[in-house]
Amino acid sequence: MITTLRSRLGSWETILAILTIVLLVVAATGNDNFWTAFNIQASVSTMAEKALMVLPLALLIIVREIDISVASMAGLSAVTAGIALDQGGSIPAAIGVALITGLVCGAINGFFVAILGLPSLVVTLGTLALYRGMGYVLLGGTPISNIPAELISFGNDAVPGTFIPWDILPFLLLAPFFAIALQRMAIGRRIYALGAGPETASYSGVNGIRIKFVLFVITGVVCSIAGIVNIGKNSSAAPNAAFGFELDAITVVFLGGVSSLGGRGRMTGVYWALLLIMTLRSILQLQGAGGYTQNTAVGLLLIGSLLLTNIVTQASRSLVMRRAKSARLKETNSDNSTPQSSPT
Amino acid sequence: MTEAVKARATAIAEPARSTAPDSESGAERVHEPTPAVELVGISKIFGSTVAAKDVSFELFPGEVLALVGENGAGKSTLVKTVGGVYRPDEGFLRVAGEKVELHSPLDAQHRGIAVVHQHPGLFPDLSIAENVFAGQPIRGAAGLLDHGKMRADAQKWIDMLGLHRDAATLVSSLRTSEQQMVEIARALAADAKVLILDEPTAALTIGEVEKLFTVIDDLRTRGVAMMFVGHRLEEIFAVSDRIAILRDGRMIDTRVTSQTDQAETVKLMVGRELGDLYPRHNVTIGDPVLTVSDLSVTGSFHDVQLTVRAGEVVGLAGLVGSGRTEIARVIFGIDKPSTGSLNLDGNPIRPRSAADAMAHGIAYVSEDRRGQSVIEDFSILDNATLPVISQATKLGMIRRRLELALVSESLERMKLKFARFDQPIGTLSGGNQQKVVLAKWLATNPRLLILDEPTQGIDIQAKAEVHRIISELAAQGLAILMISSDMPELIGACDRIMVMRHGEIVAEFDRGNATQYEIGLAATGVTAPVADQDDVGLAEAPAGGSADALVHADTALNTATATPHPPSTAPPEKPAEATRPQREWLKRLVGRRETGLLAALLVIIVPLSILNPRFLSSANLVDLMLVETSLIGIVAIGELMVMLTRQIDLSVGSIIGLTGYIAASTMAAHPDLPVIVGVVTATGVGLLCGLINGVIVAYGRVPSIVVTLGTLAIYRGVDSILSAGKQVGSADVPDSWLAWTAAKPLGVSILVWIAAVIFIVAGGFLWKTSRGREIYATGSNPDGAKLIGIPAPRRVLLAFCASGLLAGFAGALWASHYTIVDGQLALGIELTVIAAVVVGGVSMRGGSGTVLGALIGTFALLVIKNALALAKVDAQYLQAFYGAAILLAITVDLVVARRARRTGKVLA
Repeated sequence: MITTLRSRLGSWETILAILTIVLLVVAATGNDNFWTAFNIQASVSTMAEKALMVLPLALLIIVREIDISVASMAGLSAVTAGIALDQGGSIPAAIGVALITGLVCGAINGFFVAILGLPSLVVTLGTLALYRGMGYVLLGGTPISNIPAELISFGNDAVPGTFIPWDILPFLLLAPFFAIALQRMAIGRRIYALGAGPETASYSGVNGIRIKFVLFVITGVVCSIAGIVNIGKNSSAAPNAAFGFELDAITVVFLGGVSSLGGRGRMTGVYWALLLIMTLRSILQLQGAGGYTQNTAVGLLLIGSLLLTNIVTQASRSLVMRRAKSARLKETNSDNSTPQSSPT
Repeated sequence: MTEAVKARATAIAEPARSTAPDSESGAERVHEPTPAVELVGISKIFGSTVAAKDVSFELFPGEVLALVGENGAGKSTLVKTVGGVYRPDEGFLRVAGEKVELHSPLDAQHRGIAVVHQHPGLFPDLSIAENVFAGQPIRGAAGLLDHGKMRADAQKWIDMLGLHRDAATLVSSLRTSEQQMVEIARALAADAKVLILDEPTAALTIGEVEKLFTVIDDLRTRGVAMMFVGHRLEEIFAVSDRIAILRDGRMIDTRVTSQTDQAETVKLMVGRELGDLYPRHNVTIGDPVLTVSDLSVTGSFHDVQLTVRAGEVVGLAGLVGSGRTEIARVIFGIDKPSTGSLNLDGNPIRPRSAADAMAHGIAYVSEDRRGQSVIEDFSILDNATLPVISQATKLGMIRRRLELALVSESLERMKLKFARFDQPIGTLSGGNQQKVVLAKWLATNPRLLILDEPTQGIDIQAKAEVHRIISELAAQGLAILMISSDMPELIGACDRIMVMRHGEIVAEFDRGNATQYEIGLAATGVTAPVADQDDVGLAEAPAGGSADALVHADTALNTATATPHPPSTAPPEKPAEATRPQREWLKRLVGRRETGLLAALLVIIVPLSILNPRFLSSANLVDLMLVETSLIGIVAIGELMVMLTRQIDLSVGSIIGLTGYIAASTMAAHPDLPVIVGVVTATGVGLLCGLINGVIVAYGRVPSIVVTLGTLAIYRGVDSILSAGKQVGSADVPDSWLAWTAAKPLGVSILVWIAAVIFIVAGGFLWKTSRGREIYATGSNPDGAKLIGIPAPRRVLLAFCASGLLAGFAGALWASHYTIVDGQLALGIELTVIAAVVVGGVSMRGGSGTVLGALIGTFALLVIKNALALAKVDAQYLQAFYGAAILLAITVDLVVARRARRTGKVLA
């Protein structure tokens, strides 16, 4: 009856890893353009903002919350940073403005969800629209395009001597930290506890309100970094920056084995899912498939994989249950004599 | 009460020979009337636990058979088997002499078996009347539901049971005891031939219990066979004709009530002489650890004085709801005291949270083990170290070695039976789980340990071990406060026992002079002795050598019983006059979400139309708003249905895009085809999309947010692959295709007429058909829906299909109404649709929301949109306002709900 959580998720990560590697090998052998510095740099760079959004989102989903305003927060941060640059601010100043924007946006989400206790799906649906609209209100329809060359270079060039784009560096720097925090540190244990048993967690001294609030704030801040990355990549700050990116980010988290019911999932699985989707998109891109077609493939992958694991788990569980039951039946039938005689 | 009930007991003389063991009784009863229900050799096994083994007994028409046994004896399993929830692994049922296989609760219902469940399986978002007739609604003309008659009939039933409420009241506003009466009314309304009462009196007051027993008497004379499951022997002896005793999943014996007594019953239930359950060490009691002075929480308890010294075990006795757990919650920092102070080791403390209380050295083992003490997915080790996990870190990293150091010693001392530390705690037995919980709290090095029902639901062996541990802890100088409903446990384990009643400490007993009898009197407020020593009762898990000594507080029923609320709460009989139907009606109208929305709408519209006369006077604008409301509203109705079932459909925008393009391109490719072909194609494709969503959600058990997030991408992708960047312009399609939505019968766009028809049909469907109400029921209480046989997956599928179908139909309308159709049609419209539904008061928790609300929500958003357009605000700003509208709507809801709860509390 008990396939332990760990072994189940372990196997899910293995499946993802195998799938990714197979896909990578197929792509590398099937298409000469795949394993080129240019393609790798471009493929990785495309995911730079989404990869950042995935990090805090995974933690939020583990604590049974969700933030679908991630792309809007990145967009609004890009707008405020762009305005700062436009007003003659330095790059660090612009980054500071963006971070503060993200912090405030995240704190607003956190206030409604963690402190007022409203459902995060609706709250962040509201702020998704609100923050995006704010971007338009602040900037009007015209993007800011006098972006400093350093930032543009950051969004478009690779680290010299490698094909690692600069813009994935924020993710690469943060990713180990998120994984270690969730998997190895006390806060990670508390996050799992909040997702798996909110009441038990609070009776055990875990401050759910504070943790959730902070997670929403971190989400806002990390998304504002994604906003900066986006400015560099597009060489402009536009109100529609990172539009619609939340779908990919959420998809990666779910695909990575994080349960929408909370309490389950590991960062390593999420990273494999990120790599898998990056590879899939790259392959489709090389085949000349458009953005919507790529989305379709990602959507199919998401539903198909979850459906399959559900069916397999259910089937194996019912099999194990049935075996245990028939064994127990036999056992009790053989020692049937004792209880009838006992009352005096 | 007892006199009357006992008097009629003699009327049921028939089953006089039932002292014989059940194995023989079947053969001896051949000449007797056909049993209403007969269990033949029933066994039921869960995993490796045997819940029932070879149980056989009969239930005759016109008798009350009481089913008694300790926790885990198998009572609930048998109730669920007869109720059609479980299918037996061995053996079978006979209903009215016919061998049957019950496949579902609905099956059982059809055969006249009704179950009143222990935990009310009601639908909080539906009215009393609908709950009473849930699963068997009254239909009027054309098979539509007759709400008027249901209300009237339900009113009769609840009046008869003495529940003085308007049958149109929502169940969510009732107290637990009132909800129980609704459950009973539901079973009565089903005109059941077999009625199973699973601890029906657990939450009832004395008045309600008496009324229930009167009803049971009445049903008995009408020949209904009843099975009464309960713990309070006093009640069982008052109401039953025969008693069936279960132990460890096996039928021990059936006795005629009038020929046995409570002492004998207890002996049969316990089945064994118990050794010394409560070892005591010689402890020198030290200085006070906890001192509670004048502590009060409004509505829960007041002016509580309490001292617990080092090495002392202080018991807190009292009925459920007397304020015991509430005191513990304040000491542990979960709730805030209204007045009074706490002292720990002489220092005043004011714990603001559980973490704070832990830091002060307070530990609390909750009464709700599954919900508040363990995390079933977590391993034993992870559970045990959760409160102290930060102490098991080095350089911020958790070290397993340190974790083990914190808890392994105490786990060893508990003699925990387990395979390995990484085993999920859910795989352990209740007793072993409780040991892990104790170890978990000991790891926090507490000065004060609060135990709330520490041995509830665990077997006798584990119970003895838990008490051994408690005694050892006290010997080490820990101060222990133990809340328990188990009287022998309190007397055996405690140095002092405080008794609570109605939020007050009413008595205190020392170890030497505490008797169950005296404690029972104090807890129930009985002044004159009503029960002599033979009239014994029984706690949850009876323990103690002599059954004669057992008197449980709950059994002093004759004069008083548990009131779940402190004395400030009025008894339920009284508020009858306060609820005048007319004022209720007005209150309901004012309280309705739609009313508030309309008012809010007027607040926007009136100043706008004064400031800008063009706003309402412009026929074009009004027309535009109506048309848009129609187009979005149709989709919103589908979304409403999905959200009523606690799901969400994010793919509606993509479905509109896909079906719109398919409709337009079909008409462009085949201009000769009649318009209807385009419409039907779009609708059909939409239905297919909804079907895919629904099947994956309902049967694949993938959460709807994930599924529709995926299909959002997939449907849009198919759309863009089909359209391949092409547009279908107005020149490409036949004129007839454009014309059919441009028609304006009676000066109003045909779109508005179509939408109006859909709204009325949808509203009628949701309100007037049982399927519609079942959609509400499914979302309101999925488990309850399953219990009364509502096929929840099918209703979820239905909702998704409706959503897809309506989105598909809307796609056809859009394709005809808007001049250019491409792969981007209705991109992102799901945001507006969900916003409209949420603003319209549809709850994300499911079960609550109306077509009218969704419509007003849609209209409100479009009024905002057009008002902004008129004020020359950039259209792109619009989403900021939509977003703000959503946040405002849910915040207002929250405030209203909180206020309602507060006033509800005061009223109750």
